Amino acid sequence: MGGAPWKSAVLRAFGAYMIWSAFKLSLLVTFVATCFVVLLGTAFAFVLAKRKFRGRELLDAVVTLPLVLPPTVTGYYLIVLLGRRGLIGSYVYERTGWSVTFTWWAAVIAAAVMALPLMVKSARAAIESVSPQFEIASYTLGKSELETFFRITLPLASRGVFAGVVLSFARALGEFGATLMLAGNIPGKTQTMPLAIYEAVVAGEDRQAQILALVLTAVSVTAIYLTNKLTGGRTQGM
Amino acid sequence: MLRVSIRKQIGTSRSGNNERESRQAFRLDVEFMAASGVTILFGHSGSGKTTCLRAVAGIVTPDEGRISLDDRLYFDSASGVNLPIQQRRVGFVFQDYVLFPHLTAEQNVAYGIRAGENSGGLSKAAKRERARELLALLGIEYAARQYPRELSGGESQRVALARALASDPAIVLLDEPLSAVDAKTRARLLAEIRATQQRTDIPFLYVTHNVAEVVEIGDHVIVLDEGRVISQGSPREVTLVQGE
Repeated sequence: MGGAPWKSAVLRAFGAYMIWSAFKLSLLVTFVATCFVVLLGTAFAFVLAKRKFRGRELLDAVVTLPLVLPPTVTGYYLIVLLGRRGLIGSYVYERTGWSVTFTWWAAVIAAAVMALPLMVKSARAAIESVSPQFEIASYTLGKSELETFFRITLPLASRGVFAGVVLSFARALGEFGATLMLAGNIPGKTQTMPLAIYEAVVAGEDRQAQILALVLTAVSVTAIYLTNKLTGGRTQGM
Repeated sequence: MLRVSIRKQIGTSRSGNNERESRQAFRLDVEFMAASGVTILFGHSGSGKTTCLRAVAGIVTPDEGRISLDDRLYFDSASGVNLPIQQRRVGFVFQDYVLFPHLTAEQNVAYGIRAGENSGGLSKAAKRERARELLALLGIEYAARQYPRELSGGESQRVALARALASDPAIVLLDEPLSAVDAKTRARLLAEIRATQQRTDIPFLYVTHNVAEVVEIGDHVIVLDEGRVISQGSPREVTLVQGE
């Protein structure tokens, strides 16, 4: 770099700003996405575990698909669905003039769709592992299926459900491909930490990439540590 | 008065290559009544007694027939009535207790208390008090704050009975309630079940394959064998063959 010291100072300040904004955005996006995933994932898990209906396996396959598809393909489908000219997106755009693509909501949707299968899989397995005897006992006590689910089944499945929450959180935090497709890579707006790392590496900003990678690692390790701590002490006596 | 007249195919009737499967398969075809007091459904394992009990509770659905308690119709294949478990108001006591492991004894019982139909539900404090009363009725008030994993078999079954009573049942169904507790506890628990029935005056339908229990607790015995009622009457009148 040239001799002007002010130039490198500006660049450093700018780098720090990018790191900070990517960090903030990533946490916000991941948090909101995880909230959606918990609500939707639990509902899907309940339906898939408890209801017998035609198309159940199809629903399971559709929800699970992002787990096996390349993330860019999932992102592509999301554009086809939600893009300005997409199946749903065009309708919304005509009505409101607004499109979700390249907003931070797009990053939320991409992260949520990618994380949902992990939540559904974990929660469904946990719910199915609860002995149906407990549910029958609850029914004989006059409790509805829904009340039984929330007061008996879900608490008894809480470990597996919670594991699903943490896995989803980690998956949402690390989401890259689908986010890039649907939300783009706009610093300060849709550039989450994984995208910022990619950009830093491409631009040769090794220090910046290093810091971001360390931050991401620290957040992930903390999440795992917290999970173990929260679930470790409790026993369900089952 | 409980009136039961049901038929149900259990297992497959095909005389398949699997010998065990064809031995287990049989046709349940029973007709009996249970009035006040303790009515025993007696028979070997595999005689269909537990299926009868589960049909009354609504856990299994008969192929055809009719089940009614007093003037309430639980099941009638002819008119297509099949009341959901929740609406039958049966207290069910399971062989292996099935207490909710994440709730204390008191919470287990309180969970069973039916919300009042007019008042829109009892307050938490009222439910707690009622749960305490029921635990006291069974003599295990001391265990109120304990979790199921901390309770002995006898204590667990007392809590389970208290919970069944909490739902204000029209009938209590007991499925071999003493088979998982030790012999010493068994005698005491049997007397307590008897006393509880007399105090509450709710009809009990009690499934067992143990002759001693029949003699000790039964007012009326229905003997089942291979899905059929082969005799019934007072414990003195019927001949009992010890089940396995």
